[in-house]
Amino acid sequence: MEPLSSLQIFGHILYQLLPVWIGLVAIFAISIATKTKTGLYGKLFDSPIGMVGFALVVFWVLTALFGDMIMTHDPLQQISGMKNKLPGTPTKGAEAGDFQWYLLGGDNLARDVFSRVVAGSRIVLKIAPLATLFAFMVGITLGLPAGYYGGKRDTLLSFLANLILAFPVILLFYLLVTPEIVKTGLPKYMAAVLFLFPIIFLVVLWQSRFYTQPQKRNLFVALTVLIGGWIYMGIAWNADPTGIISMQANILIVFVAVVFVNSPTVFRIIRGLTMDIKTRDYVAAAQTRGEGPWYIMLWEILPNARGPLIVDFCLRIGYTTILLGTLGFFGLGLESESPDWGSTINAGRRLLAIYSHPALPPALSLMSLVLGLNLLADGLREQSLRD
Amino acid sequence: MTKQPYDGPILEINQLSISFFTRMFEIPAVMDFSVTVMPGEAVGLVGESGCGKSTVALGVMQDLGVNGECVSGSIKFKGRELIGMPEEELRELRGSEIAMIYQEPMASLNPAMKIGKQLMEVPMIHEGMSKEDAYAMALEIVESVRLPDPERMMNSFPHQLSGGQQQRIVIAMALMSKPSLLILDEPTTALDVTVEAGIVDLVKDLGKKYGTSMLFISHNLGLILETCDRLCVMYSGEAVETGSIKDVFDKMRHPYTQALFRSIPLPGADKNEHPLVAIPGNFPLPHERPRGCNFGPRCNYYKEGLCNAHNIKMAPIKGDTRHDSRCMRFESIDWDEPIEAGANTAKTEVGDVVLKVDNLKKYYEVAANAIFGGGEKRVVKANETISFEARESETLAIVGESGCGKSTLAKVLMGLETATDGSVELLGKYVEDVSIEERTTNTVSSVQMVFQNPFDTLNPAMTVGSQIKRALEIFGVGKNEAEREDRMLKLLDLVKLPRAFATRMPRQLSGGQKQRVGIARAFAGAAQIVVADEPVSALDVSVQAAVTDLLMEIQRENKTTLLFISHDLSIVRYLSDRVMVMYLGHVVEMGSTDAIFSPPYHPYTEALLSAVPIADTSIVKKHVVLEGDIPSAMDPPSGCPFQTRCNYKGQVKGGLCEQEVPPMRTLKGGHEIKCHLDDKTLNTMEPVIKQVAKEKTTA
Repeated sequence: MEPLSSLQIFGHILYQLLPVWIGLVAIFAISIATKTKTGLYGKLFDSPIGMVGFALVVFWVLTALFGDMIMTHDPLQQISGMKNKLPGTPTKGAEAGDFQWYLLGGDNLARDVFSRVVAGSRIVLKIAPLATLFAFMVGITLGLPAGYYGGKRDTLLSFLANLILAFPVILLFYLLVTPEIVKTGLPKYMAAVLFLFPIIFLVVLWQSRFYTQPQKRNLFVALTVLIGGWIYMGIAWNADPTGIISMQANILIVFVAVVFVNSPTVFRIIRGLTMDIKTRDYVAAAQTRGEGPWYIMLWEILPNARGPLIVDFCLRIGYTTILLGTLGFFGLGLESESPDWGSTINAGRRLLAIYSHPALPPALSLMSLVLGLNLLADGLREQSLRD
Repeated sequence: MTKQPYDGPILEINQLSISFFTRMFEIPAVMDFSVTVMPGEAVGLVGESGCGKSTVALGVMQDLGVNGECVSGSIKFKGRELIGMPEEELRELRGSEIAMIYQEPMASLNPAMKIGKQLMEVPMIHEGMSKEDAYAMALEIVESVRLPDPERMMNSFPHQLSGGQQQRIVIAMALMSKPSLLILDEPTTALDVTVEAGIVDLVKDLGKKYGTSMLFISHNLGLILETCDRLCVMYSGEAVETGSIKDVFDKMRHPYTQALFRSIPLPGADKNEHPLVAIPGNFPLPHERPRGCNFGPRCNYYKEGLCNAHNIKMAPIKGDTRHDSRCMRFESIDWDEPIEAGANTAKTEVGDVVLKVDNLKKYYEVAANAIFGGGEKRVVKANETISFEARESETLAIVGESGCGKSTLAKVLMGLETATDGSVELLGKYVEDVSIEERTTNTVSSVQMVFQNPFDTLNPAMTVGSQIKRALEIFGVGKNEAEREDRMLKLLDLVKLPRAFATRMPRQLSGGQKQRVGIARAFAGAAQIVVADEPVSALDVSVQAAVTDLLMEIQRENKTTLLFISHDLSIVRYLSDRVMVMYLGHVVEMGSTDAIFSPPYHPYTEALLSAVPIADTSIVKKHVVLEGDIPSAMDPPSGCPFQTRCNYKGQVKGGLCEQEVPPMRTLKGGHEIKCHLDDKTLNTMEPVIKQVAKEKTTA
């Protein structure tokens, strides 16, 4: 079997990504056709920058989703004789049904770089949006009362937020993954506290809205506590009675660390927005008809802060992606075998001067995803400002 | 640059059309607009928001931004064409030959530069004047805009001055270059009435003194009457009528102008006998303009096939000089036809006392150091010894300028704040120290509020229907969702909005419609007392009348007590039964509407009455202008709160005004007044507003 030429490599990669292209075209076709009816999401398709960003992000989401169809080899499998082989090298000892080449070459442990990059996107897209979402829940639940009540509560919460922000992030991560600290159970307790916030958030949301209709309220609260509690037991304590939901201990630590450092920034954004929006007349109108403070915060203020929050959410997923990369690069949290982009870049770094192909693809992937998220945020911001 | 003398018209705008271009389509903002400003002449541009009056001003400045463009026509300044003039030449004209004054004074001044430096910059840049000369000139101009202590002013930063002082500085800056044309875009809208009166007075005098031509943009017809020689009425991007003040005010020849005058409360209007006539319908959006006459769909004289046949041109009116109208039928309409008598409604009888406020005080403590507390505390006396009562189906107007404590009073009534001292008896219950969380649903739903800013009163993230339904839910109206839905639709009927609006988002509604939804929401729990905080002041005049009438109608039906907070005395006179005038936390005068609007007055009320511009040429006003600004509530003057600005202070012996707060005195007819002036002086006061016989107009 002959090694592939550059053009052939390119062609094969495009072909491997076929499900992604089909998905992208379908999503764009449907979205553009219905763009007048879908509000802010539809307006995104009026902005070239937003569309490029959206396309990059959707590309990676679909790649992660169809990963099994795209991957040519098992990302952890080492094939002897493929160590540091150049892109396009035929796989040694490939049988008839196997894929015949290492499209982007092999890394220093003779694993397929292409498959590892695809598998890495899964890890990033599993952790980054979810961790950002949790950080938002924590930030919102604490930021709203701080901004709305002001005074001593605000002073205390803002002080704590500043304290966390002032602490060097990398040092914090090092501390959290140190075996001695893990043994004390600190990350677990932190997870137990941080993961409680989404449940509190939802319960308060339903209570404040539907307390005048107890039946509806009871239904929503019961559902939230049941489903939320189940997920909570599974991921925070790894004690899901049915055993379906669980989270690996090391991923949990990464997750907790990311949520912990992101939530103070979210807290500050929400606090500022709340302080601005609470002076509006519709907030006064709600007060004069005797609404409770949580109704005002969650149903009058929060929906009207959504514009800047959505933009920040996109940007923050980007930061989190970089943060995950940094963690992987320093070998913090995840296993050394893990195909996540940060670890892969770190592994490739050592031979960068001789072989650049194992380190470059994950680095470019990381860059394109973060760029996509930033462009998407820009597009959203631009479109939400015009009417 | 040297300024050449020029005799012809200062500004000649001829058939100007300005459009804004979006990615999709072109939005015409101004169409076929012509106006001429002669030397020393003041021309008013009047119209509702969105009619294109500010766009004209920006067109003259050639500052339309990237999207705007003059599509056709010409703008000639002293004979020189401005459209297409190179940037450099324009820069020399702007600020030197043409100066502009905007609505927000704070936004026109650089907050990081001292006033003096900002003023001196103008002649130093345009005329290359030396620093010393520029300083001397700035000092002279600051003095001529009647600011106290000019040298201190020159040495302060903009934020150290009050709004009125800032606007004077902006005017001074515009005058520094001795411009030939001064464009004023709503220069007093952000200011209080008594401060506004001072600025208007100043502008008029300066116009005479320097011979500057002025283009005065305003939505307020009364203000135009006081300041201008000629005016141009605009509607939906077109000039519909132009002429001298006298011609347009006394013998208008366009249905829109007529409708506009009928919808503003003039001293003769009365809510029962001569109700205001609102203009039906809504202002058309720029891309939804009808064919033919833009005002057609809202016009009483509309004739199918004539008014919508083709575009209508301005036509001169025979017998008048420079008086034009854009109407096909102005010659066939009988302009002297009396206003169709609206439904005369009987005056409703006032019932029992529902609200009794006695000796109410509200102080705020402001810590000097907000972060760590402690430090020295300052007390803001927002309300001082307020006593009044309000009866069922009565309208009590609370009048005063910003900082007089009227909003604090509303907050205490609503329970958003609790009183420092005194009592508030609401429907037989004492509620002065019951905050809203502790009030029963019944109490909360019986006192509701209508807010000032229509763009802020509804939650932008919820549909109109669900907002009203939420209020019903909170007030415990209706047993289930279906009943509340039904009640919500009935409330929409009550405020005369189509039922389809229930599913709309607030941003799809116009200002007037939003305010109606706000009213519907306030009446959701069958409110007995409604506090209306300037409910119409942010609306356009043509919409104001409709919303005011709606409020009156609902009040009549439900026997609601209306506490109408306003600074606009014309509308107060039109709709209220009793009036309470507040100044710096004190009630300075209270009585029936007639008693307040006729002498004897409290000196503050007198100034307030004189300050309100009235759009009627047959009204002669006594000229009272107050000096200075309203003192801060943080540091109120000793004695009478009004003594720092009072024109009558000299007539009270022994400096009593500076030593003690005058007691509330009851004059005849339950008219209360808080003043040291003796009865004799009070009785010699003349009425501020006098109606002289209207000249017979020839049709």
